[in-house]
Amino acid sequence: MNIDAAIVHIPRLRRYARALVGDAARADDLVQDTLERACQKWSLWHPPAAAPAEHVHKALRGWLLAIMHNLHANQWRQAARQPQAPWDESLDPGHDPGAQTTLRLDLERALARLSPTAREVLLLVGMEQLSYAETADTLGVPIGTVMSRLSRARAQLRQLMEGGAPARAVLKAVK
Amino acid sequence: MSARAPDEATLHAWVDGELAPDAAAAVAQWLAEHPEAAVHAAALQAQRASLQTLHAQVLDEPVPPRLRRALRPPPVAWHWPHALAAAVMLAVGLGLGWGIASPGVGARPAPRAGSTAALPTFVREAAAAHAVYVPEQRHPVEVAAQQQAHLVQWLSKRLGTALKVPVLDEQGFHLVGGRLLPGEAGQARAQFMYQDAAGLRLTLYVSVLAHPGTQPAAPAAFQWTADGATQGFYWIDGHQGYALSAALPRERLHALAEVVYRQLE
Repeated sequence: MNIDAAIVHIPRLRRYARALVGDAARADDLVQDTLERACQKWSLWHPPAAAPAEHVHKALRGWLLAIMHNLHANQWRQAARQPQAPWDESLDPGHDPGAQTTLRLDLERALARLSPTAREVLLLVGMEQLSYAETADTLGVPIGTVMSRLSRARAQLRQLMEGGAPARAVLKAVK
Repeated sequence: MSARAPDEATLHAWVDGELAPDAAAAVAQWLAEHPEAAVHAAALQAQRASLQTLHAQVLDEPVPPRLRRALRPPPVAWHWPHALAAAVMLAVGLGLGWGIASPGVGARPAPRAGSTAALPTFVREAAAAHAVYVPEQRHPVEVAAQQQAHLVQWLSKRLGTALKVPVLDEQGFHLVGGRLLPGEAGQARAQFMYQDAAGLRLTLYVSVLAHPGTQPAAPAAFQWTADGATQGFYWIDGHQGYALSAALPRERLHALAEVVYRQLE
């Protein structure tokens, strides 16, 4: 199996990254980093033995998503560790607080206010439609953790979209 | 018969299709009997559906070339023995041979048996051009960066291939300009010069190789040369040979070479 097999996954990776980091250019940077890392680690990728093409396809997507998760997690952990370069999602250029309030923008804005871990689990299950088991694999956490994070993230997202109460401080503490 | 109320996690699992058929049926039954909970479940379903429509247009966009390129492995830096590296001289055309291949770096073709990998001619030319023009105060370049379009057109025409000028502003180097230079056998060469805020200069030497097959075996791999304080990476990509030179630490120059390589692809 050749690394070119990853090409077909790029559009979905771009969309997922876009929802994850908000900004289009930074999202593509994350995808690029992911693909480069996949290239370097290609010898470590082992497709499931004697599996139908569809499973192999899914497994490769999961592998790429896991690489992206690790890169992304490193980024925000580093950002969190450096007080002089604070992680501030409200400054994200992809989210203009003055923009019109269509449902879609509200969703984007609300997502941007969640913690990165909450956003990841929501997107992997909701947008990428991974199963709980696949999500757990991708994130490297137990299924129980996926489920509890998911319930919490959904409640937070709903609260943000309905109440409009700027629950930033609370959400930060939850993370 | 009405089952026990599903807990929140079970409700989510039901929305996400994670439950076994009979467990899912039990939840559906319970929801049918409890309209308030059914509203909550519907909201969860709506939220899930709304995430699936988010940024859907991205799926139809063409894949940016840089992402396609990211799947091509970058050139591997060769690690020449330090003693050998230190032996490269400023002297033009001295043509010191490289007799030793570095051991132990995997995933690259082995040098041809019994051959001595001589430094390609264009690398010596690049070192000479770097040494001559970098200290030049009044005329470091023939055509300045202000006329970049003309510079690129002109040099492309003389070299007989469409040239690209890498942009290194993010790395702190702005383009000073470029010049046309003579290479072996009367061929035209191009040199682009960059400078950082401290006045440190970087040159990129571009040559179109007449007979790539006769050059020492050099796959798309960065090779390292050292010449006093001036460091260089060179590589051959198809019919073109590139040499990047500056008095910079090796790691820094390597990073710059990666940037240049990617932009030229």
